[in-house]
Amino acid sequence: MPSFEDFKPFFVTGLSLGGVYALSGTGIVVLYRATGVLNLAFGAVGAMGALISWALINHTSANQYVAYAVCILFGGIVTLAYGIIFGPPLAGRDPLVKAVGTLGLALILLGFMSWFWPPKSRSMFLPTSNSGYQIGIVHVTWTQIIGLVAAVVVTIGTGAFLRFTRLGTAMRALADDREIAATLGVPVRRVEAVAWLGSGLLAGTAGLLLSDLVALDAVTLTFLVISSLAAALIARLQSLVVTLFAGIVIGLVDALITPILSISTYRDMTPFVLATIGLLWISRRRVVSVGRAGT
Amino acid sequence: MIAVEELTVRFGGVTPIDSMTVSFTDGTCGLIGPNGAGKTTFFNVLSGFVRPASGSITAFDRDLLSMADYRRARWGLRRTFQTEQAIEQLSVYENVAMIHEHSRTQRSSRRRAVLGALEFVGLAAGSDEKVGTLSARDRRLVEVARAVVGEPRLILLDEPAAGMPEEETLHLADVIRRIPENVGALTILVDHDMSLVSSCCTTTAVLDFGKLIALGPTSEVLRDEHVIRAYLGTEEVEAEA
Amino acid sequence: MNAGGAPSEARASLSLPERRPTAGTIVRGGVIAVLLAFVLAGLPPLLSVYWLDVLTAVAIYSVVALGLNLLVGRVGLVSLGQIAILALGAWVAARLDFATSLPFPIVLLATGVITAVLGVIVGLPALRVSGLYLALITLMLAGAITIVLNSTNFPNGGGGFLGHTESSFGSGGIRRPSIAVSDQAYYRYAVVLAALMFVLALLHVRSKPGRAWAAIRQSEPAALAAGVNVTLYKLWAFALAAFITGIAGGILGGSSGKLFVTQFTTQGSIILLAVVLMGGVFSLWGALAAGVLLQLLPALLNDWGAPPDLLTVIFGVGVLQVLVTAPEGLVVQVPRDLATLGRFLLRLGRRAASLLGGAQ
Repeated sequence: MPSFEDFKPFFVTGLSLGGVYALSGTGIVVLYRATGVLNLAFGAVGAMGALISWALINHTSANQYVAYAVCILFGGIVTLAYGIIFGPPLAGRDPLVKAVGTLGLALILLGFMSWFWPPKSRSMFLPTSNSGYQIGIVHVTWTQIIGLVAAVVVTIGTGAFLRFTRLGTAMRALADDREIAATLGVPVRRVEAVAWLGSGLLAGTAGLLLSDLVALDAVTLTFLVISSLAAALIARLQSLVVTLFAGIVIGLVDALITPILSISTYRDMTPFVLATIGLLWISRRRVVSVGRAGT
Repeated sequence: MIAVEELTVRFGGVTPIDSMTVSFTDGTCGLIGPNGAGKTTFFNVLSGFVRPASGSITAFDRDLLSMADYRRARWGLRRTFQTEQAIEQLSVYENVAMIHEHSRTQRSSRRRAVLGALEFVGLAAGSDEKVGTLSARDRRLVEVARAVVGEPRLILLDEPAAGMPEEETLHLADVIRRIPENVGALTILVDHDMSLVSSCCTTTAVLDFGKLIALGPTSEVLRDEHVIRAYLGTEEVEAEA
Repeated sequence: MNAGGAPSEARASLSLPERRPTAGTIVRGGVIAVLLAFVLAGLPPLLSVYWLDVLTAVAIYSVVALGLNLLVGRVGLVSLGQIAILALGAWVAARLDFATSLPFPIVLLATGVITAVLGVIVGLPALRVSGLYLALITLMLAGAITIVLNSTNFPNGGGGFLGHTESSFGSGGIRRPSIAVSDQAYYRYAVVLAALMFVLALLHVRSKPGRAWAAIRQSEPAALAAGVNVTLYKLWAFALAAFITGIAGGILGGSSGKLFVTQFTTQGSIILLAVVLMGGVFSLWGALAAGVLLQLLPALLNDWGAPPDLLTVIFGVGVLQVLVTAPEGLVVQVPRDLATLGRFLLRLGRRAASLLGGAQ
């Protein structure tokens, strides 16, 4: 059994990764509450943004900060475009149908990614990974700090946005009851567009950070969405604060298992196991009931 | 005979059924009350979809609440829903046969039972047609056929006349009236059409806010002041004697 | 109409369900028989080994698609874990093959049964959730299985429980049935087995489980009220889908003799769902269309020099198209979609025919 000292660096990794999971989780939760769409292409969008960034940096003379901005913007624009084009036709359908739609988007993105960027070793090296702090024997990069801090900032910011701004209140109304919100004059399409754009920007940001913290690989980044999904599910797709804590815990569990060698081969299973727990948790409910409590 | 003792249902801060105690004896009983009174919730408890917080239901000397939901049909419970639930992909025959095959195992009696039920409700459509292609009237009749097939003991009819024109309601009333004699099941009828209730039901119970506020012969109950007030604004109904 | 009294015998207005096949059914049956005969006897001599392998794969994956077609189209359950079930089936078949000298058909049957049991075990937690969460939980379970397989690998003649050896000098590939060793014969074997699986599915759909599934798909409360043991029938559906998928896995192993973990990805499960939806879940034929999309199309694209990844993009677009244009949930309108698909395939077929003429 490794000593406490051995765990320390993984502690740092876990916190920063967990922060990014929480960040993504927030994007997933807010979008789901506002539109009923569980965006399973969240990771794929970030992955493609990161690959575009990489291409800009390594194959053009573009300024690297522009490239990073492109990644984040790509996330926002593609997600927004999907929401505008496929949101309305699927609006009245079951959440399952809406989620399968995002699987379609994920396939499109995965297809393009493996077409233009055949599997090869690539890496993303953010400038913030150059420097950092030294805590004891552990080196913490700025990227890792950003991962955690961004999560906290986004959670607080989104919470404040939802609570104190008009648009945020409209979004909460939409989440509560779409039909009534519409009759109350809430600009449904506009509010949804904001949710799509916001969640897309978060996807781009998460993609950028994860490409540095984990790997720049299309499939890996796409399926990292499962960890974020687990966090969102444990929060019952509702509470931002729970998403934050759940994300961080998931990141920690994921990382801290690595030094425990005997199960590290199965470490990759952690996100799946945690997401399964999240799904069972969110589905605790009573017996089948028919319709509303009416007559 | 069905005895309901102190039945209470609570969910989400609402108490749709509040200490309801009532007994239904043979024949056809009406169950009426304003919207939100708890009628469909009561049916859902009987079907097993809603678990009550407390109380008991004894039906023909069996503790109904301890039976698994899908087993109640085998025991003899049948139910129609407010929105018809006949399976659109299947034919008329298959829809009714399905009830029979999940509650009884003798295949030999099945065809006769199914055709008998279809004839009982007066279904004009061929038994091979897919329910999805039928008119609303015929779909509703298929549902009723599903409710009477296979020797049921307790039939719950949840607003069977909802949205039906007068002529079809009269036909439905005729069918329901023939149930006690031909099918022999205890029937509880929920509906807002008072003429249907008074023409089919010998006794009627009235719910309001989850509580029983009246029980007795239909004509008396429909004239009861408390009942009329509970409906708030509903004109006094002339009950057909 | 009877005014009272006991139900009498059937009247003229109520027709008994047709017991004798109608003219239409006979014609359809005849056409299918002719096509089957052509596929079995007429086709093999015309094709090279490469295309025979492709068509064998079409047969295999049509069966896998059939499993998902049943789950989605008949019961309304979306499972994103069928490729993992295929991997399990292939693993079990390979292990039995190396560890015993049982004849191939017995191995297949045993594989089907074992995979069915595994499918039920996977289905049990899945049944506590519904709709979207069911789909997600099957995806999670599939992901977990894929990861385990990545480290256990596939049996290749080695010892121990896992039967995998790193050394490349295994005891030869997975064997084929003694009656179907040649590629042509194996192709026929695969097609016959696939046809049997389709018949098995059809028998289910036309009888009691099929009716129960139709009820469950439309409304679970109504199904329960009709006396249907919903949990049992859902598990039955999972078991059947896993059974046929397991058998498909067994045939897959014998087809190439070797199995690689890269053949069974989580992405593959998503693509399977995409092609099953595109092929149409309203009819069992949709599964055959899905198999063609999944295995024939990549081979054709490969021939034309187009990137295989383009297909992934096409499938993504296809899913969205199906979801948006199909008015009732995931049920595809058969005439329209099959006709569109038919026209598309016809065009492909013509191209393929001219290509094959050149490939000889």
